[in-house]
Amino acid sequence: MKSRKRWVLAGMVVALFFLTAPVFGASGDIPATVLIDSLSQLYNGVDFDHEQHLDIEDDCSVCHHHVFGNGVADKQCARCHSDSEGISSVACNDCHVKEPFTVGHIREMEANLNRYHIDMTGLKAAYHLRCLNCHVKMEAPTGCADCHERTDAGDRFYHSDKYAPVGGGVEGHHE
Amino acid sequence: MSGISRRKFLKSTVVAGGSAAAAMSSTKSAFAMKEFDGYPDSMGVLVDFTRCIGCRTCEAACNKEHGLPEPELPFDDFSVFDQTFHEGKQKRRTTDKAYTVVNRYETKGPGGPVYRKIQCNHCNEPACLTSCFVNAYKKTKEGAVIYNPDVCVGCRMCMVACPFSIPAYTYNSALHPEIIKCNFCYDNRLKKGKPPACVEACPQEALTFGHRKTLVKTAHERIRSNPDKYVDHVYGEKEVGGTSWMYLSGVSFDQVGFDTTLQHHPILDNTKSFLSLVPMVLGIWPALFMGFHLLATGGKGKKSESKEEGHGE
Repeated sequence: MKSRKRWVLAGMVVALFFLTAPVFGASGDIPATVLIDSLSQLYNGVDFDHEQHLDIEDDCSVCHHHVFGNGVADKQCARCHSDSEGISSVACNDCHVKEPFTVGHIREMEANLNRYHIDMTGLKAAYHLRCLNCHVKMEAPTGCADCHERTDAGDRFYHSDKYAPVGGGVEGHHE
Repeated sequence: MSGISRRKFLKSTVVAGGSAAAAMSSTKSAFAMKEFDGYPDSMGVLVDFTRCIGCRTCEAACNKEHGLPEPELPFDDFSVFDQTFHEGKQKRRTTDKAYTVVNRYETKGPGGPVYRKIQCNHCNEPACLTSCFVNAYKKTKEGAVIYNPDVCVGCRMCMVACPFSIPAYTYNSALHPEIIKCNFCYDNRLKKGKPPACVEACPQEALTFGHRKTLVKTAHERIRSNPDKYVDHVYGEKEVGGTSWMYLSGVSFDQVGFDTTLQHHPILDNTKSFLSLVPMVLGIWPALFMGFHLLATGGKGKKSESKEEGHGE
């Protein structure tokens, strides 16, 4: 009787270990900062403080959808992924492509028009839609340069700062 | 009264009028059947106002892509949203220096201001094209409405015809004035299977590029998935016979300056049945009425005329 109890206890410990293991394992791999710079051109990359954002939001699925396999907050995703298993692709750029509007990518998306993820955004929009929408809601900074500094190419592109138009005035459709 | 009686003449006119009316109604139905739903592989852009943040990056990208003149204010200057014209009734419009502009609308909704990008909508059956009597416009199979300044005579009928008031004109050019409007980046991008510069630059993917028919599905799917977020209407799906650029909005379209009274069939349809009668009227009526005239006068009128002419000589 005593030994049976011990076995049950041991079983529970083992089960507990296995249940919590992915979380422990994942927490060990969680990067403190992530340098997001694969698209930087008009702006420098973002040195993203991952740790700080974890303090604000402890539900990984808010940004990472269902990839960790422990449920998903978004109701739309939960329709299919409420009990999906975790997958190895956890970075944004594992799924969201840099150039969503190439002939190849459009063709690939249209090959299966009934797939739900036909409307998946590209990488740049994945970042901005995810970050900015939340920043607006949380009243966090929302200016472009609040997250990434503009490059010289960016200044030239926007005709701003040292490339600002001389003279100024009001532009209009008829003057 | 010789040759033909008055009664007979009137009778035959009624018959001719009746047959003309019959011809008119039959041509109308014949044209109604020929509906053009756009080229099958036409590309398009879906503009989602719920994503636009008014950063004006699309304006800057367009300026750079087409080598347009330097703007009067930097593209990161948001004071342009306060500019109005015509005693505050008119927001910024496309000009000969800007193919596209973004305007801000303070709306009643809780979501704050709404930003609306304007540019050529690249209609399936463009009114500018059909109004042009020198064929300066072309609707390409990729969906772009492009313009050829070499044949343009500068009548500016297209500016009047456009239901969206998009084409601008280089009034300041005395020798080579031309129409200026968005060309869907046709030569350098669209033709090569690349998205327009504004679409590529948009950080929010407020602009989605793809096949028009797929975008219509995408648009309705977005509305279906988020019924509280969107107004249940895809502007441009049906307006003026469909446009390549289509719009989704979180507030009713009239709040963001759209003309919500536009017909759902092409502008051309308003004149198609009339114009089809023109060759008939010009071709048949002179002969027909000359025949009546000769029958009625028994050829006398002509004789007396030639007599008079003879006297005159």
